[in-house]
Amino acid sequence: MRTIPSNERPERTQILWVTLVLIAAYLPLAGHLALQISAFVGLLFAIRLASLRWSAVLPGTWPLAALTLIGVANAAVTYQGWSGQNAGTALFVSMLVLKLMELRRKSDIRLVATLIGFLVVVEFLFDQSPWLVLYLGAVVLGGIALLVDLNGGLGEARRRGAITVAVRLSLQALPLTLILFLLFPRLSAPLWNLGVDPNKATTGISDSLEPGAISELVLNGELAFRARFEGTPPAADRLYWRGPVLWQTDGRRWSAGEGITNSGPAGALLETARPIDYEVTLEATDQRWLFALDMPASVPDGAFLSPDHQLIARQVVSAVKRYQVTSALDYRTAAPDPARLAAGLQVPDNVTPRMRRLVEDWQGRSNDDWALVQAGLQFFNRESFHYTLMPPRLGANPTDEFLFETRRGFCEHYAGSFAVLMRMAGIPSRIVLGYLGGELNRVGGYHMIWQSDAHAWVEVLIDGRGWVRVDPTAAVDPSRVDNSGASRMLGAGPSVRFTLEQADAIARFVRNMRLFADSLDAAWQDWVLGFSVEDQLALLERLRLGELREYGLVALMLAALGLTLGILVVASIRERKPLDPLQAEYARFCGRLAKIGLDRLPNEGPMDYAGRVVAQRPDLAPTVERFMELYVPARYGPDDSGDALVALADLLSHFRPRPARQMPDLLRRPR
Amino acid sequence: MFNWTRFRARRFSNLFRRVARGGDGVARVGSRQIYILPTGNGLRFAAVLFVMLLGSLNYQNNLGLLFTFFLASVALVAMHHTWFNLLGLSVQARGGQPVFVGDDTSFEVVVGTEGKRARYDIGIPAGETRHQSIAIPGRDSGTIRIAQTTLRRGLAALDEVTVETRYPLHLFRAWCYVKTDATTLVYPKPAQVAPEPGSAAGDTEPRRRQGSEGMEDYLGPRGYRDGDSPRQIDWKAYARERGLVVKQFGGDEGQEVWIDWAGLTAADPEIRISVLTRQVLDAAEAQVRFGLRLPGLEEAPGRGAGHLQRCLTHLALYDHANDPLQRAA
Repeated sequence: MRTIPSNERPERTQILWVTLVLIAAYLPLAGHLALQISAFVGLLFAIRLASLRWSAVLPGTWPLAALTLIGVANAAVTYQGWSGQNAGTALFVSMLVLKLMELRRKSDIRLVATLIGFLVVVEFLFDQSPWLVLYLGAVVLGGIALLVDLNGGLGEARRRGAITVAVRLSLQALPLTLILFLLFPRLSAPLWNLGVDPNKATTGISDSLEPGAISELVLNGELAFRARFEGTPPAADRLYWRGPVLWQTDGRRWSAGEGITNSGPAGALLETARPIDYEVTLEATDQRWLFALDMPASVPDGAFLSPDHQLIARQVVSAVKRYQVTSALDYRTAAPDPARLAAGLQVPDNVTPRMRRLVEDWQGRSNDDWALVQAGLQFFNRESFHYTLMPPRLGANPTDEFLFETRRGFCEHYAGSFAVLMRMAGIPSRIVLGYLGGELNRVGGYHMIWQSDAHAWVEVLIDGRGWVRVDPTAAVDPSRVDNSGASRMLGAGPSVRFTLEQADAIARFVRNMRLFADSLDAAWQDWVLGFSVEDQLALLERLRLGELREYGLVALMLAALGLTLGILVVASIRERKPLDPLQAEYARFCGRLAKIGLDRLPNEGPMDYAGRVVAQRPDLAPTVERFMELYVPARYGPDDSGDALVALADLLSHFRPRPARQMPDLLRRPR
Repeated sequence: MFNWTRFRARRFSNLFRRVARGGDGVARVGSRQIYILPTGNGLRFAAVLFVMLLGSLNYQNNLGLLFTFFLASVALVAMHHTWFNLLGLSVQARGGQPVFVGDDTSFEVVVGTEGKRARYDIGIPAGETRHQSIAIPGRDSGTIRIAQTTLRRGLAALDEVTVETRYPLHLFRAWCYVKTDATTLVYPKPAQVAPEPGSAAGDTEPRRRQGSEGMEDYLGPRGYRDGDSPRQIDWKAYARERGLVVKQFGGDEGQEVWIDWAGLTAADPEIRISVLTRQVLDAAEAQVRFGLRLPGLEEAPGRGAGHLQRCLTHLALYDHANDPLQRAA
């Protein structure tokens, strides 16, 4: 092995430092990665820290190779392969921490410090809170300070010096960072397809409906999206946020259905009224659908409208996404294609005779389809149906059991059974998943739609009216809504489905604080996480450079960067030249005379100046001549000027010339 | 094999700008004389940043972008700091004590800053190893000692020093070439053995030492050696706890030795000079008065450190084809 020069060998404190920075950088990941990964990484950290005291602990070449294999296998076994964000991160972290085992040269530490930057970026794939930004900012600062310390040559007070230098660098880098962040051209679509982690659980509603699916969501206290209306927002019970549309059922589970795809001509609206514009900031769903109010009448960039009037993004929403939509609150849809019409009448096999009798009863009492729908809704209202988040378990035929025995259920039970009954009556119907309502945040002026607002409703096809929304859950008598128990635990506050009483002042205060915190979070989402190409172009538009598009961004970015760097450079190297003490005295002397109108001319030497002053003001002659006797030899002579300096200062302390009473124009300074 | 370093040195060395000395003998590093390139570490940093940028752009992860841009900005600012760190440095080199061929010369490079901004990690590269880098407080200066191996007698000149810095992050290396006029005198390498001077060439019979370190003029003190007479020990110095010191006497004025170029027969002038050097050193050791005769040059007999230094200087600078000292005189 080649010998390492002594100044390339890392110091023990530097090894400790890099280990601590890496531990700090790893900590936020520990919550996201599997326990086995943290155990392996923790073991390596422990070995490294112990080796600072007992160097024999450090593994040699073969044990290190074995450890590497264990690390690779550990990540592979934990995540069953290499694909996916978690597996990749686990592998990267394991290898990075393994590098701690061989820090022979300073450049090894530099490499680790550099890769910590990459680790930080990876961590933002898991969590994007402002607190994490602050925390990792401090971690990165520690890494920069480490690089400064590794470079050395700081002389005395080096540790504090390294941190001071790192802080100064960071502060100077902040304006540049801001410029780059605002103006660096972004991609509107990814360069390569993102491997969506198959093991990663998606949040929010899914593309199928099973008993218990939504009640699970309701207990999830997370935010689904925010919506900001332009103008007056609609009433909360009109806020049906449309998501996936389900056609097929086996009597238990609803799914999109075979042969029903999102491609094809967009669902047409024959008539629209009451348009409403709004902006949605959608949290990452790892799905492609975008939520919009019934019915979306416009399509945001990078999305399309499916035949079922659902907005679909062209890319998976893996990060916060902001989009503008116009919806029509009143609308009339076109008739569906034959395949959809057939799917809308498909009835599961497990239909029971009493279900058939029920539908036949309704058919006998109704003249047309719409009357039959009303009869169905009245059934839910009149019979003792209860609305509860914790329905009893249902057996093999949930629809039948729910309708005739338990009669306790949630929106999924109501929508599912209602759609089946309508189909049995020959009315094409389908289920729509989405959210209902939303909580107005008065502080931020927007609506918050929580996962607990997840909802399922039915659309029936009525001749001449197209698809009409019917919400059987809303038909349940409000007195039979169970608003105790689980619904009390909801973090989401009141929804239109429950009328929870606003409790006392403390509860209101807590609620307001929560709204305020959410406004901050919304600002973070809007201005940092959701900052996009559109915002950049809007900024450019405001600067009247809109036509230049991306080129304008680049030009503006380069100009701003250059200007800022120029200012930084000038500020760094500019140094005020300290005036020679003698010259300072002379400047004071000239200043006193200038006050009485006897300014020194730029081209005038001391002797000429003194001559002119004496000629104009003979009364000042003694002091001026004395000054020159002291000043000229001290300034231009070879001797030490220390004594002259004291004498000059003494002389000047009594020199307060007054303006002449009558100053003839002739004697004024020449112009 | 193609030697890139030598090729570069020959081809491109004239292309580099050098910092010239000002009127006061101090070279001041100007903005146009500073070169700067990323280090290997800097390139790796850039590669990692590039991956971070691509990843963040692709995943549309604004926080990733934010940190990528922050690190890029830090590197950009650091590059300017690296550059500033050399700007306006004053560099002055001076030679050290004379040495013999084969020993390392030492030069002192005084690097100072006239402004109040402190400078860090200023170093002078020397082959594989790097000299300890120094920090210079504002309005102050620091000294870097550099050594060069010597192969030839004469004046070893330090034509140029490279002053470099990697402050603050070791991402960039800025350097400049500074011209200097510092020289160090290199004495000839003394021969292993030499015939006694003043005797005929080839005559190896040792010259009988005239007198001894006995009752002649007091020459000065020297350290005690085994075999010295107790009468010569300076007991007063011993009483003052200065250790065992011997009073040296000797060199009666009449005794002098000529160390003569013509007295040697070796054909190679460098060997002659080498032998003469040994003779001069031996004579100085033996405390005899000696003179030096080189073709066209004669140093009158004398004694003492100054005389020795003059003789060695003559030998170091002696140009057997065309004696410069003679012409100067």
